[in-house]
Amino acid sequence: MAYKIRLNVFEGPFDLLVYLIERAEMNIYDIQISVITRQYLEYIRMMEESDVAASSEFMVLAATLIDIKARMLLPRIKEDGTETEDPRTDLTKRLVEYVRYKKAAAALENQREFARLKLQKPQEDLLQYTGEPDVYLRMEMDSFIHAFKNFIHRRAKGEELQRIRRGVERQRLSLEKKVSLIGKLLAGLRKAKQKLLKFSELLSGDGGRPDHVVTLIAVLDMASAGTLKARQETSFGEIEIFPADEPAEE
Amino acid sequence: MQNKDRIKSAFESMMFIFGDPIDAKLAAGAVGVGRAEAIDCFRELVAEYEARKSGLRVRETDGRFGFVTYEENLDYIRAITTPVRERRLSQAALETLAIIAYKQPVTKSEIDSIRGIKSDRVIEGLVVKELVEDRGRSNAIGRPALYGTTAKFLEYFDLKDLGELPTLDDEELEDAIRSFGEPDEDSENTAALLAQTTLDI
Repeated sequence: MAYKIRLNVFEGPFDLLVYLIERAEMNIYDIQISVITRQYLEYIRMMEESDVAASSEFMVLAATLIDIKARMLLPRIKEDGTETEDPRTDLTKRLVEYVRYKKAAAALENQREFARLKLQKPQEDLLQYTGEPDVYLRMEMDSFIHAFKNFIHRRAKGEELQRIRRGVERQRLSLEKKVSLIGKLLAGLRKAKQKLLKFSELLSGDGGRPDHVVTLIAVLDMASAGTLKARQETSFGEIEIFPADEPAEE
Repeated sequence: MQNKDRIKSAFESMMFIFGDPIDAKLAAGAVGVGRAEAIDCFRELVAEYEARKSGLRVRETDGRFGFVTYEENLDYIRAITTPVRERRLSQAALETLAIIAYKQPVTKSEIDSIRGIKSDRVIEGLVVKELVEDRGRSNAIGRPALYGTTAKFLEYFDLKDLGELPTLDDEELEDAIRSFGEPDEDSENTAALLAQTTLDI
């Protein structure tokens, strides 16, 4: 289980590999490829089971490990009697290099622990000591008028936005009205001995697209609240609406 | 202005107003002396503030000088300010920063290769924090960007210059690596490993 807690901690495939080697108390210059490959693959499987997508870099190293493992099985004596290079050499070199910078990172972290005790002022605002403490507006009459017009225009736009915002609120009220209207129509169904309402009957004549939207939302809302049932046989077809206690099947 | 004490006095005032560390060259120009002489004066100030056990210290970073607070006064400063919890650098950021610091100038692909994983986003974060910066282009294929550390990096780690980086001692590294474990004859683990080894062959 200690595994799972560490899942997100690994910064990359080397980080994981170094951890496994360290945990197995293995000599980095004499990695037992078979053991480590098995553990590494187990680990990746575990990551996948916990829905942590192992990045492609983890897979690349997995492939490298398997490749080395395979080459370890081959005889390494050449025809002339000399030995070929140990298949692990390249990986070991890279791991040692990685460990070197991991150590350096730890040293930096340590250094920061001391450094953070000393505080330094941020760059001061030197404007108040410079020759012109006030910023004068040097403007031609034309550009001044232009700036003023822009200001008026922005204000008008702002007011327009305010109006639109109010408009949105009005629509929200009409959703509540729509819900109560549909509720009444449903209650009226039984008296009229009718079984269902059609969606088109719910639309008010002059409401336009906003009314369509609000009506649909009202129906969906009520359906999810369980106050009605709705059915649509075909795409874009008529939506039929039943009281919740009415079996939808005819 | 040739009197050393006058120059040092001027530098103190300048450092106080400037806030950020002030470049020795800029300060030298202001009082009309050479850069080397200015650095001399600044370094005397460094020693004087230290000898006086002042609550302010003069710190040199990358040829720039500025006031910092004395480290043992941090708690008192905190008492009158709202302490901000410092967001520490992540392990990924530290690793990447270490590679850039010790190997600079270095390309993104060299960093990726050492870490075994893409470092684009980590580097971006370090650039935003102004700890590393773009240092022009390498002549390699594709002319990739080179990265190096900034003056702010030196301040962040309280280093006078890059020569003060903690040394990467090869022997120490070898020791650390070996302490991963020489096979320990007694442990069951080792027995299992040895069994596995024979399968390997």
